[in-house]
Amino acid sequence: MTTHLNGNMFHKETMVIVLLDGPYSSQYADIGYKMAESALKLGYGVKIFLYMDGVHIPRKDQNPRDFPKTSRIIEELIENGCEIKACVRCAAARGYLDQSHYVKGVQITSVYDLAEWMDENSKVIILGS
Amino acid sequence: MSSSLVIIDKAPYGRENALSGIYIAITSLDQGHESDVLLTGDGVYAALKNQSGEKTIGYPSVSELIYLLFPNGTLFVHLDSITQRGMKYGDLVEIAELIDNKTLYNLSKSKKHIIKI
Repeated sequence: MTTHLNGNMFHKETMVIVLLDGPYSSQYADIGYKMAESALKLGYGVKIFLYMDGVHIPRKDQNPRDFPKTSRIIEELIENGCEIKACVRCAAARGYLDQSHYVKGVQITSVYDLAEWMDENSKVIILGS
Repeated sequence: MSSSLVIIDKAPYGRENALSGIYIAITSLDQGHESDVLLTGDGVYAALKNQSGEKTIGYPSVSELIYLLFPNGTLFVHLDSITQRGMKYGDLVEIAELIDNKTLYNLSKSKKHIIKI
């Protein structure tokens, strides 16, 4: 188990958020952040799976002029105990061949991990696309 | 055992959604979960026979990938959506099962997770 997980991850019920869109082109990263933040405050476990263009969200060194940086909200969620994984197929296709492209704590992994998260104790919410 | 219904409403090749949705269903089945795919709206084009994406544009053939759902998962194709698009049951891959609105309602009610992609 990674060190950034907090007590919420042991909560029986977990919210799984799947983000499909990249940052700035839609508001879904921000909406997902708000949902995750609220669930964490209520004591639920929160896991986020970045799929398709969603893998752009945690990219380091973003510098949007007119929007809050989405990589920062990812860092904040990880600090608060959220587990965040990015699909390896989607990430590699977009040039993210290893975790060095991402903010600390985001793992590149297989879609099998999403399937594993979709268990009886989780609620999956798809945002985007 | 958990269960999911992956709903795809976008045509293949033009968008990544069909391919990505099918991958979710296949991996869920591999994990021992129940998982089915529902093609609705423009998503029904993913069930067309004889797709040539691999040969023509170098994209993975969605119709071939769909067969990996078999035998534990079911590929449901929304009847109204194929009718509206001038398609017939015979145009679809052999594993396709047509589903009407009432059966669709019962199917979605029976699933733990609805993954609309």
